[in-house]
Amino acid sequence: MNNLYKPFKVKIAKIEKHSDDVKLFRLEKDDLFKKNKDGLVFEPGQFILVSHFGYGEAPFGIASSSYQDSYIEIVVRRVGTLTKALHQLKQGDEIFMRGPYGHGFPIDFMSGKDVVMVTGGCGIPPIASLIEYIIVNKNKFNRVYLIYGAKTPNDLLMKDNFKRWGKDIKILLTVDKPDKKWKGYKGMVSELIDEIKIDAKDAVAAMCGPGPMMDALEKILRPLGISDRRIFVNMERKMQCGIGKCQHCVTGDKYVCQDGPVFNFDEIDKNWD
Amino acid sequence: MDLVIEKKQIKDWLAELKKGSTVIDSKKNALPIKQYFFPPQEDLFVFNKKTKKLKSLDYKKEIIIICHYLGQLEAMTQLDEIMEKPNPDFFYWQRREKSVLIGLIDESIDVAPGGDIILEKINSKQYRTLILNDKGKKIIKNKFFKEIDKPEIKNYPAEENPGKKMLLDSELLANAVEWSKDHKIWDELAKKCLGCGICTYVCPLCHCFSIEDRVSLDDNECVRCRQWDACTLPEFAKVAGNHNFHKTIKERYYNWFYHKFVRAYKEYGKAQCVACGNCERHCPAGIKIGDVLKEIIEDYKKHE
Repeated sequence: MNNLYKPFKVKIAKIEKHSDDVKLFRLEKDDLFKKNKDGLVFEPGQFILVSHFGYGEAPFGIASSSYQDSYIEIVVRRVGTLTKALHQLKQGDEIFMRGPYGHGFPIDFMSGKDVVMVTGGCGIPPIASLIEYIIVNKNKFNRVYLIYGAKTPNDLLMKDNFKRWGKDIKILLTVDKPDKKWKGYKGMVSELIDEIKIDAKDAVAAMCGPGPMMDALEKILRPLGISDRRIFVNMERKMQCGIGKCQHCVTGDKYVCQDGPVFNFDEIDKNWD
Repeated sequence: MDLVIEKKQIKDWLAELKKGSTVIDSKKNALPIKQYFFPPQEDLFVFNKKTKKLKSLDYKKEIIIICHYLGQLEAMTQLDEIMEKPNPDFFYWQRREKSVLIGLIDESIDVAPGGDIILEKINSKQYRTLILNDKGKKIIKNKFFKEIDKPEIKNYPAEENPGKKMLLDSELLANAVEWSKDHKIWDELAKKCLGCGICTYVCPLCHCFSIEDRVSLDDNECVRCRQWDACTLPEFAKVAGNHNFHKTIKERYYNWFYHKFVRAYKEYGKAQCVACGNCERHCPAGIKIGDVLKEIIEDYKKHE
């Protein structure tokens, strides 16, 4: 019987500092990650459980391209025991991981349509991975937008990618507390709509992170005319097992680890928690 | 023909079994049988920090468990299903696969609910065997069991259990508990419940757990262990950074009911409850879970 709790070794091939308390880690595996029939190592939106023995295990959304089979990248905010320990590691150190787990964004359903992605702060990883997928398959998608918000300009992560992404998708940045140099928007505001030209009947939305979710829904996605059924949300919860047993990640009648982490907004909207 | 064992010989049979394996009589323990396959605490992996080697621990020991309650056997059938689907739980099955579950039951049986073999009381001196699988078949191939044509069979009816009747309509239960989310009863229970988790520990079906690392004092070795957790405990859904997805005891207590009667019904078509009454018996706040369900169902019916 396969021991699904057993993690495997990965090497930290690269560490990038993305803000005062956020670092990106590139996790490399010698014998490469396994590709599926479409050539993907995982579905954009899926997550992995990262282990640092002595400090525990926690779920992280994958930020890198799902076509990349030699490494997986995660973005880690220093916030608890495990993430503090991860932040002390250096390039070349070894940690463990298992996964990928759960269901990602419904990329087949999304293709052929306009896409509006909305996220905030640390919610960018799964969206970044979706962007990488869209860029590789750009012929399959129509107009694609990313609305990315953060507290301050310094809290915007994965900034080095913006220029490259910007060639294929339109990026709208917004912060709550702009500095003097800031040229983007302030807050998750309804003016953002003016920049978005989509055919609402043939559009889908992808969101991640609780922060901007309700605001974005009320001020942007619904006014744009995108129906709740076509809004896909990547959820976060506490997780221990990742395989639908331990009960920690439950929301209403769904397990975020198994049924999600990407849900159709309709499915979870009425959940009592 | 029935395969029968004399009551006075059961002791000798068990003594014989004890020579080859560990035999546990579950009657002497307040915790349900799940503890033998899903222990309150268990080590999963040992990581040597010097050699960087990761070892998965081996628990493939044969144990024989004697169980005296049909409800506990039924719960084990359900727990097996939970631990099998959608992904098998490796550590549970390591222990479970080699174990033999013997029911020693002093009441007449209509339908055998689980276990590998059941000894059913048929008269004051004899028990007959109900073999449920090959493991059960193997364990009774010995001199203590004899084929008897038409042994005397008396009826030993089960005690009245109103909870059991309630469970028969698990669809009604699921609908009622789902409907009851805004019922005042949850506010009342939130004031009563101590959030101690005992109800979940003594439940033969509750299976929440958490996984933690333990490091040796010399920092050479790290053991990854898992232990029972309870969805009613304050930190159950709290993530790093202190956001808590189930902040109040009201939410957590409702979630416990919701899982047992709604989510379980949607997932497995039945409630994760066998009306054993353990939770009521051990609740330090004296919450009568059966009465709670009764009240919810009555109000739900009125509402409908």
